[in-house]
Amino acid sequence: MAYKPQYGPGTSIVAANRRKQMDPTHKLEKVRDVTDEDIVLILGHRAPGSAYPTAHPPLAEQQEPDCPIRKIVAPTEGAKAGDRVRYIQFADSMFNAPSQPYQRTYAEMYRFRGIDPGTLSGRQIVECRERDLEQYSKLLIETEMFEPSLVSCRGATVHGHSLRLAEDGMMFDMLQRCILGADGIVRYVKDQIGEPLDREVAVGKPMGDEWVKAHSTIFHSLVGVAYRDDAEYIEYIQRIHALRTKYGFMPKE
Amino acid sequence: MGKIERSQKLFLNALKEKFQGEDPESVKTAFYNFNGVRQSPRKREFMAEAKGIEMKRGISMYDPEHCHLGGIPMGQRQLMTYQVSGTDVFVEGDDLHFVNNSAMQQMWDDIRRTVIVGMDLAHATLQKRLGKEVTPETINEYLHILNHAMPGAAVVQEHMVETHPGLVDDCFVKVFTGDDEMADGIEPQFLIDIEKLFPADKAEVLKKQVGKSMYQAIHIPTIVSRTCDGGTTSRWSAMQIGMSFIAAYRMCAGEAAVADLSFAAKHAGVIQMASHLPARRARGPNEPGGIKFGLFSDIIQADRTHPKDPAKASLEVVGAGTMLFDQIWLGSYMSGGVGFTQYATAAYTDNILDEFTYYGMDYIKDKYGVDYTHPDPAKIVKPTQEVVNDIASEVNLNAMEQYEQYPTMMEDHFGGSQRAGVMAAACGLSCSIATGNSNAGLNGWYLSMLMHKEGWSRLGFFGYDLQDQCGSANSLSMEPDRGLMGELRGPNYPNYAMNVGHQGEYAAIVGAAHYGRGDAYSFQPLVKITFADPSLKFDFAEPRREFAKGAIREFMPAGERSLIIPAR
Repeated sequence: MAYKPQYGPGTSIVAANRRKQMDPTHKLEKVRDVTDEDIVLILGHRAPGSAYPTAHPPLAEQQEPDCPIRKIVAPTEGAKAGDRVRYIQFADSMFNAPSQPYQRTYAEMYRFRGIDPGTLSGRQIVECRERDLEQYSKLLIETEMFEPSLVSCRGATVHGHSLRLAEDGMMFDMLQRCILGADGIVRYVKDQIGEPLDREVAVGKPMGDEWVKAHSTIFHSLVGVAYRDDAEYIEYIQRIHALRTKYGFMPKE
Repeated sequence: MGKIERSQKLFLNALKEKFQGEDPESVKTAFYNFNGVRQSPRKREFMAEAKGIEMKRGISMYDPEHCHLGGIPMGQRQLMTYQVSGTDVFVEGDDLHFVNNSAMQQMWDDIRRTVIVGMDLAHATLQKRLGKEVTPETINEYLHILNHAMPGAAVVQEHMVETHPGLVDDCFVKVFTGDDEMADGIEPQFLIDIEKLFPADKAEVLKKQVGKSMYQAIHIPTIVSRTCDGGTTSRWSAMQIGMSFIAAYRMCAGEAAVADLSFAAKHAGVIQMASHLPARRARGPNEPGGIKFGLFSDIIQADRTHPKDPAKASLEVVGAGTMLFDQIWLGSYMSGGVGFTQYATAAYTDNILDEFTYYGMDYIKDKYGVDYTHPDPAKIVKPTQEVVNDIASEVNLNAMEQYEQYPTMMEDHFGGSQRAGVMAAACGLSCSIATGNSNAGLNGWYLSMLMHKEGWSRLGFFGYDLQDQCGSANSLSMEPDRGLMGELRGPNYPNYAMNVGHQGEYAAIVGAAHYGRGDAYSFQPLVKITFADPSLKFDFAEPRREFAKGAIREFMPAGERSLIIPAR
């Protein structure tokens, strides 16, 4: 019998949104356009238009060992070219940012190849070959997984996910890498590590309370859906815990 | 599972004081207008002090407006004060780093410099091997000599160097016994009086455990254990014990029989506060990594002074434990730097964990009829998986909802590790107190972690991925390499050895199981008695209050060197 992923339990909109983001057959809604050059600027790893620095020669030009795994796994474009491994890191506000750390990791693991995600409470990082990263980053920033005021790209000094919002609705960032303009558009003035950019990078307008609530992947009893109200989700967690307690990691019922 | 009404919010006072003029339930606020690091009186004090030091030594030092993030100092948001839980004292976060807090240092000093040594074997050797008479009078004389010698004074030889009493005034030895008649014969200055210090029912149990034996509670000088290490404590004490026996019982210093006494008196009856660690940790006995959680919950004395409030007793263990295990052990012995303080203080400031825990107390009373104010082993609940799931789920959901309903509280505990430790601790303590079973408490902790992670799609730092996501599987296991009863686990237990925000809470969860039953002790009755002694510098019945005193610079520590250095 073929394995059919379930992507997680729950009857709430939060649970449904989580499943949609994880399911690679679901096409994520594109809500903004950010050019390839702008993505490169936000990432801050190389100058736009410059060649990709390499960590090793292209695979086609080097002797590959006789390895059965290499015969099974096709290399990504970045791996083929010998790109460096670089990163993008997101901070997601707990006030209904459309993706959240573990959710990002789960979604990326289903949707991307050749990645190494790391998940913390205030940030989530994903590392991979540089040209693959730029492609993945574009998807992560242009689609419903991003919201300009509640999600931001932060290489370091990520503090802000759990704080109240600023009066203009922006998530706190002590480096103020992106700012909300008088025209209602959020623009990056610094790259993700905090280096000032030569020109601003626009990432669109905040989506508004109604949109973020409808696209939320975090339970929140004040600004969204209360965890307690998704009984199926709670029951599922209790079941997992009880099975692990009784049977370790070989659960049986 | 089902929400219960609880109108009291113990954290509200702190939130109002910290975020003055703001609604604790507000979702928005103003940032970037606090004048950076200069908003904090303590940081300004640091800057002024550093300027003077730089002028004097000619080497640069504390310079946050230049060195922090290339010229962007911290303080773009409000640098909060903290209320030490269980007290009315508000302090700056800096005041809770152990370097800035003499009470915190003294708490660890008082544990590290303590060793318990049994006297029975020594007395038997004296009587049977050496033919000496041992009476209350000879014991009193021995203790008089020992309290002269233990701080570092000579008792036998000519022309010896000695220590200045003013530098070692915290060093002393007392004894305790379960034999009332024997206790009556000991001079009060040398006796830890179990009857007076403990509630009657607990005193009876403790005396029964000690029996007719007699033990010495020895505290070597703080300055010695600081200059050397915890492994020194038993050695220093052994040397002075040996010499004091020779002096008190007029023994020959070279006779072979004295070797028998030496072993019997100095080594055979030694109880360390902590076992030594494996070579890869490279620490001797009496260092924090070897303190078993059961033993640590006996060191803390709030269950003795507040026997009808196991929640309060447990919360004091959390405060003391996070300070020792997170701030000192993991934060400095094992790591270094200043970051760990921020994790640890979340568990003992602003009455947040207190509120979550007392919600748990109300819940177990409402749902299971367990009145935590009347601890009684006959009234606890059977520790089934269903009970643990129910209590931990409700306490955890309530905690998450409180963070959500009070965004200022979420901002207070701005890191996921802080929230994870606090919520899981409330769940663990509630399960422990309800069931009287420490492993049930640990199991509740791990359900909290899974619920937290799934509810908010985040938990703590990377380390939580290991420890807290496999904890369900080891919390009730007793198989070697997979589990152990909570009392015998410790900071170096597999999986527990690397994660801040856990060990102090685990110690409290273990203690809570016994406090909830009204037990006289958790693991080691001799330790419970030893740290009841009011002569200790640090009051182990009120560690959080002591930390507050240290923070406002009102705690007087030991081991000071002002007698032997130039006046400033």
